Amino acid sequence: MIILQCLKLFYTFFKIGMVGFGGGYAMLSMIMTESLKYAVTIEQLADLNALDLLVPGPIAINAATYVGFLDSGFWGALAATIGVTIPSFIYVSLFAHLVARYQDSPLLKGFLAGVRPAAVGLIGVATVTIASGVLLTPGMSVSTLLSDPLGTLSLTAVAIFVAAAVANIRFKVSPILLVLLAGVVGAIFIV
Amino acid sequence: MQVDIKKLWALFATFFKAGTFTFAGGLAMLPLIEKDVVEKYKLMPREDFVEYATLAQTLPGIIAVNCASFVGRSTAGFIGMLVATLGAISSAFILMILATVLLQFVPQEGRMVGAFRGIRAASAAMILSAAFTLGRHNLKNALAIVIAAATFALVLFTSWSAPLAILLAGLTGLAYQWFKSTRTEQAA
Repeated sequence: MIILQCLKLFYTFFKIGMVGFGGGYAMLSMIMTESLKYAVTIEQLADLNALDLLVPGPIAINAATYVGFLDSGFWGALAATIGVTIPSFIYVSLFAHLVARYQDSPLLKGFLAGVRPAAVGLIGVATVTIASGVLLTPGMSVSTLLSDPLGTLSLTAVAIFVAAAVANIRFKVSPILLVLLAGVVGAIFIV
Repeated sequence: MQVDIKKLWALFATFFKAGTFTFAGGLAMLPLIEKDVVEKYKLMPREDFVEYATLAQTLPGIIAVNCASFVGRSTAGFIGMLVATLGAISSAFILMILATVLLQFVPQEGRMVGAFRGIRAASAAMILSAAFTLGRHNLKNALAIVIAAATFALVLFTSWSAPLAILLAGLTGLAYQWFKSTRTEQAA
């Protein structure tokens, strides 16, 4: 059973590695949307993003290890991490010469020009997925959002979300500082 | 093939150091790696490294691992590729498992519940912020905006998987480029 689950993890993360364009956050978003198939909650995925700030190393490796570990323990973590790593070996060994030769080709540029905005869309999906999980009053679900927005949303959590987003996007306040502050504010105001 | 232990050690040390002391992703690791590969261990000339680093960002996959694979492979073949990659990912792997285990020991009661909910809300905000940062640079024409919106809608509202959507987006960009270049050829 565990072997089967590890193979499944390997395959999911291998796929993500094979199309891992657009840098760490794009891959993280893919991992977040694909991980809902596994024994991982939305709250745990939000924690992952906070842990990423504290644990060094490539974001996608952190994410693969975390999701694999939560789903199937150590072997799951290993399977997911190897899965997301192997595509690099394949690309570097087999396609490096090809890509080097066609690096200035308009078609490759066109492909990448299509992939980059898609990465933005994926990060948008990850935002909605995570936000819809962590901004609600415990026990409520998104289904009542339109009929009873005030009862469904946790106002303090929404306030923290908006304040942190503005502070980081507009005023470049460091993410680590914001996450720590949010923890303090949450401990005081969220009952 | 004679495998040079010294070179393998240099590869492992370089990428292990970069993987241990840089936060928030592979891109931040590149300058550190460059310094060690080019100046400290003299594994290759700077021009080669810069070309590999550029390719590492063009190819799909984890940038730091791509870079480790390129440098490792050109220095010591397949074994070099494995050793350099192992160096790049082992701290992240070990520390992340430790962090995940420790996190489960944090009591989820009383004030801690509120603290966690605050942290998660801010964490969601950081993802939104990443979308903004990347969007600012990459949503500069109508096609890009349409692709971003279509990807968003497809993955959020239908059963399309994220990897499939990103492939489709790449092919759309490629088709558009091809269409544009055949049209200019006809005009010429």
